[in-house]
Amino acid sequence: MTTGFTIWFTGLSGAGKSTISALVERELGERDHKVELLDGDVVRTHLSKGLGFSKEDRDTNIRRIGWVCEVLTRNDVVAIAAAISPYRAIRDELRANIGRFVEVYVECSIEHLAERDVKGLYKKALAGEIANFTGVSDPYEPPLSPEVTCYSDGRETPEQSAAKVIAKLEELGYVERRVLVAAAGAVDSVYSEEEEDEVTERLRDLGYL
Amino acid sequence: MRLFDKLRGGKQRKKRIVVIGIDGVPFTYVQQLFRAGELPNFRAIVDEGALMQMDTTMPNVSSVAWSSFMTGQNPGKHNIYGFVDRQPDSLKTFIPTSRNMRSPALWELLSTAGKRVFAMNVPVTYPSRQVNGIVVGCFLSPNVEKAAPNAEVAQALKRLNYCVDADPWRARQDKDSFLPHLDEVFERRIEAMRYFWRQEPWDFFMAHIMETDRLHHFFWEEMEQQHARYAPAFLDFYKRLDHVLGEVRSWLDEDTTLVILSDHGFCSIKQEVFINTWLHDAGYLQYAKAQPEGLQDMAASSVAYSLDPGRIFLNVKGREPEGRVAPGEEYERIRREIAEAATRMVDPATGEPMVEQVYLREDLYHGPYAQAGADLVLAMRDGYDPKGPLGKPNLTFKGPSLVGMHTTPDALLYIRGMRQTSRRPYITDVAPTILELLDLPAPADMDGRSLLNDQVS
Repeated sequence: MTTGFTIWFTGLSGAGKSTISALVERELGERDHKVELLDGDVVRTHLSKGLGFSKEDRDTNIRRIGWVCEVLTRNDVVAIAAAISPYRAIRDELRANIGRFVEVYVECSIEHLAERDVKGLYKKALAGEIANFTGVSDPYEPPLSPEVTCYSDGRETPEQSAAKVIAKLEELGYVERRVLVAAAGAVDSVYSEEEEDEVTERLRDLGYL
Repeated sequence: MRLFDKLRGGKQRKKRIVVIGIDGVPFTYVQQLFRAGELPNFRAIVDEGALMQMDTTMPNVSSVAWSSFMTGQNPGKHNIYGFVDRQPDSLKTFIPTSRNMRSPALWELLSTAGKRVFAMNVPVTYPSRQVNGIVVGCFLSPNVEKAAPNAEVAQALKRLNYCVDADPWRARQDKDSFLPHLDEVFERRIEAMRYFWRQEPWDFFMAHIMETDRLHHFFWEEMEQQHARYAPAFLDFYKRLDHVLGEVRSWLDEDTTLVILSDHGFCSIKQEVFINTWLHDAGYLQYAKAQPEGLQDMAASSVAYSLDPGRIFLNVKGREPEGRVAPGEEYERIRREIAEAATRMVDPATGEPMVEQVYLREDLYHGPYAQAGADLVLAMRDGYDPKGPLGKPNLTFKGPSLVGMHTTPDALLYIRGMRQTSRRPYITDVAPTILELLDLPAPADMDGRSLLNDQVS
């Protein structure tokens, strides 16, 4: 029985998949899991180099990433994929193949994304300069029952989104629950010893100690 | 093309928020000054909205209260429990800073939503965390350079002669010379506020004034007793504050909402109360040496210890380094025993009870960091100020320097354009209210609720 599993981030371009998945990767790494992050933009520069954005090419791309996740998952590695992956049927196919599969939908309205336009792509897509752009000139089929839904329209921070994902992994038993205690101030110190003494003195003079 | 046009036309007119924090200003004291015909600017501001009495956190110290304000959460979620805290496994004490705060501040949420934000001097914002804008660290910053988020802001603050905080040592040495010093620190803070306000059309702008709290700690009793010199000086300070509020009011346009709030009230100190002395006298705390200096000098036979203000921790097996109390049944039994004994704590001079109520952790804190909270928290009666030092021979003390202490049910909240509410506001309600004013959703894990729906018609 493997300890690996796959976390699949799906959502429109610029929604925050890369940001949140990187935070999740870091947290799992700190908890001593073996983790591999397969970011869609990066994968398209090597594993899926040469593939375009037609339906056929997108499906091939996602199936390739899915296959790598499957191999990692059965070898005790946590595979994290972050790709638009707009077609529901293909995502469900991966879920069926991999089994230990956690789908994270990073939700953000197209209006919000176009206003933010972090990569400048929406402007071009809306002007017709990019064809087959998901959400503008190509479809996106959101998951019907993802394990986690994250919102990147301001109602939660990326850190909160990552925490939601971790909490769900703990709940599902993929990751051990961590007992949280007050973070140690002195371990990762924001004060030199001198500075701490000075601030402590001020607090004492104010009667706060 | 059509979609792009829709996006352009659909953009709403921006709404902006200005928040002024006036630390420790009691609702009842402001009402008292209004009745005496004072604070005309504040009065005019209040006529344009709703001024409410607000409840604050337990403990009612600024680091906890403002943290709860900025996160909209109880300490069980944001993890700031006091000005000082201890690492349970070593009993080493430390000063909680923004590194320990586990939740985003209101302006960080606004920042993620693309708003331009500014926050200056709000506890607990040292070290300043990154935002779409500027956060100037609070009084816990060791110096002005470190309070600034970058070199440019540091230079500006230095040019403005900005002070992180008034020096309380001066007040302990000589109250007379502390007053002009406090005035100067206040003036420089206001100058900095003006400077940053002018920099750009911030969507969210918050300035926190700490000087009121400092004034109250050292002069509250003198004000109440109408001291010949200090009472007029106290009122003069408030007049200066009123003037500043009038200036802020002149900055506002129709689209800007003004919020003014404090984090707790104030009353005179009758006695400082050393909770560790009470624990020692009651047999719960023993010292490992004759003159104990800190928690490290607590003897292993001890069952409980205290941290400022009024927080009691049991010496628990598996939690504290030389824990004595077994978790589970023994913990619950001893905790309740101490809580019950604490309610019988009396002022040795008058025989009056000093403790209003004793809270259990679970009464106050819930969330992922609730276990970091104290096992018991004492709510003291007005006049009895709970303190943390160990080894004090007498239970109580009254000195000439520290004369004012915090109260819990007397903070104030003002929101422009609002009406009075059917329920009493709590300090965690302010952030969700501000989010709603800006048409943004409040995170589901905020404990407070927007007050806008509770306005009476």
